[in-house]
Amino acid sequence: MTAITTQHIAGAVSGAKAAMGDLEQVLNEADSKLGDGDTGSMLARLIDRLADADPAVEPSISDAFSKLARAAMGATGSSLGTLFATGLMTASRMTKGKDSIAWSELAPLLSASRDAMMARGGAKLGDKTVLDAIHEVATAVEGLNDQASVAQSAKQAGQIVLERFFNESCKVGRARMFMERSIGTHDPGMLAFVRLVDAVAG
Amino acid sequence: MKKLLNAPTAYVDEVLDGLTLAHPSLVRDGTAGRVIRRASGIKPGKVGVASGGGSGHLPLFTGYVGKGLIDTCAIGNVFEGPNIDSCMDAIRLANGGRGVLRLYGNYGGDRMNFDMAGEFLEEEGIRTTTVLGIDDIASGTLDERQKRRGVAGLIYAYKAAGAKAEEGADLDEVTRIGRKAVEATRTIGVALAPCQVPTADRPTFSLAEDEIEMGMGIHGEPGIWRDKLKPADAVVDEMLDRLLADQAITTGRVSILVNGLGATPLEELFILYRRAAERLRRERIEIVQPLVGNYVTSMEMAGASISLHAIDDELATLLAAPADCPFWRVA
Repeated sequence: MTAITTQHIAGAVSGAKAAMGDLEQVLNEADSKLGDGDTGSMLARLIDRLADADPAVEPSISDAFSKLARAAMGATGSSLGTLFATGLMTASRMTKGKDSIAWSELAPLLSASRDAMMARGGAKLGDKTVLDAIHEVATAVEGLNDQASVAQSAKQAGQIVLERFFNESCKVGRARMFMERSIGTHDPGMLAFVRLVDAVAG
Repeated sequence: MKKLLNAPTAYVDEVLDGLTLAHPSLVRDGTAGRVIRRASGIKPGKVGVASGGGSGHLPLFTGYVGKGLIDTCAIGNVFEGPNIDSCMDAIRLANGGRGVLRLYGNYGGDRMNFDMAGEFLEEEGIRTTTVLGIDDIASGTLDERQKRRGVAGLIYAYKAAGAKAEEGADLDEVTRIGRKAVEATRTIGVALAPCQVPTADRPTFSLAEDEIEMGMGIHGEPGIWRDKLKPADAVVDEMLDRLLADQAITTGRVSILVNGLGATPLEELFILYRRAAERLRRERIEIVQPLVGNYVTSMEMAGASISLHAIDDELATLLAAPADCPFWRVA
């Protein structure tokens, strides 16, 4: 299949929801080292709302992304949740009027979402946040136009970014206050994105 | 950690139900019921003051909705910012036709959601301005003051901006006063024992039975140092040393807030206040309208914070102006 449809989006949400069963406490544990230990619970709640939104029934992928963005915005006001919603809103804007998009359009979609999230949240690449993971995956899938290659490259990129930043310190937001203590930990947002990519890519 | 609750996911809504039932001056509103506003509504022609933040800090944020303070408050889940819809609802409900000041603490989620809410509401013709609470001196150097988080000192900005709005001032003037109150306020806290978010399966941080952490944030953000617990007087002395080094009290007058974080007895807060008052007297700084109590908490965190609010004649007048909410009354 050479195009991403609302069915793919719904499938990705279902995959993410299934993965949260195990991931919730893994992410809470990661967050307990740098935050208040509830990133997994927040994300589980958010993804439940996305699944309830049922994006498969929407007439276009733009509508599907928009519906998911609204659901994410309603689920939480946490910074990570709001950034996810910002990314989904950007994806909706970029796909306006399209029933489907080619797999090769995924990279520019991810890049644009990353840029919008940077503008909204104020973090930069290299700060050890979810943005670095999105950037790595967007770069890895650039030019690829089939689902299998995209899935494989995205998973590899996720692993690489986690390893690269594991021994870096967090430089932004609440986690920046932990400085040295954040070395040898995964940023919860980065870990969440990578593990969800793993789950969705299969 | 034991908590009296029914279900972790029902925590916030049941708190808000109880709060509004106990205090009929407050009502729940907004599409998701996550806005607390004055039961009497916004007075037409008055500048509105809207605030918001995560649950888990009562009386902040929702407890300060009332005359001479804030008009509306959007509330999120425990330690999570309010969502965009609630922020938009809070701003709309605070709009009496002369604009709304958005006054809240400097946290990523709160900032993003209030910013987006403001952008959406511009299309509805509602003018808004923003003032961020940045009083916690442990969360950033003086050079990076704009990155500091807002903690207990935010209530002084509520009081000053709320009083100014009640006088009938316009939005620019209310905003100026809000900024001035933030500029005049510094806070530092100490933690003795952790809190726990209802949906998490363990406390937010651990602290040994005989330890204290200086400068810890109200969500358990790390502080400046962690060491063996010291006598109360020594703790107060260091807190005041740090506060006074961060801000020269050129006016010679302060209001001081000795605030409990949730699990510290009022008696211990008065032990802290006793030393602080003695120390400020020695520094020839006059105390005006001191506050001692649980004004901004962090679930069941044990510990306290001290805020110094340097006042001139203008801020003194606003601090003394009548105010009435369930947790703070100035006659």
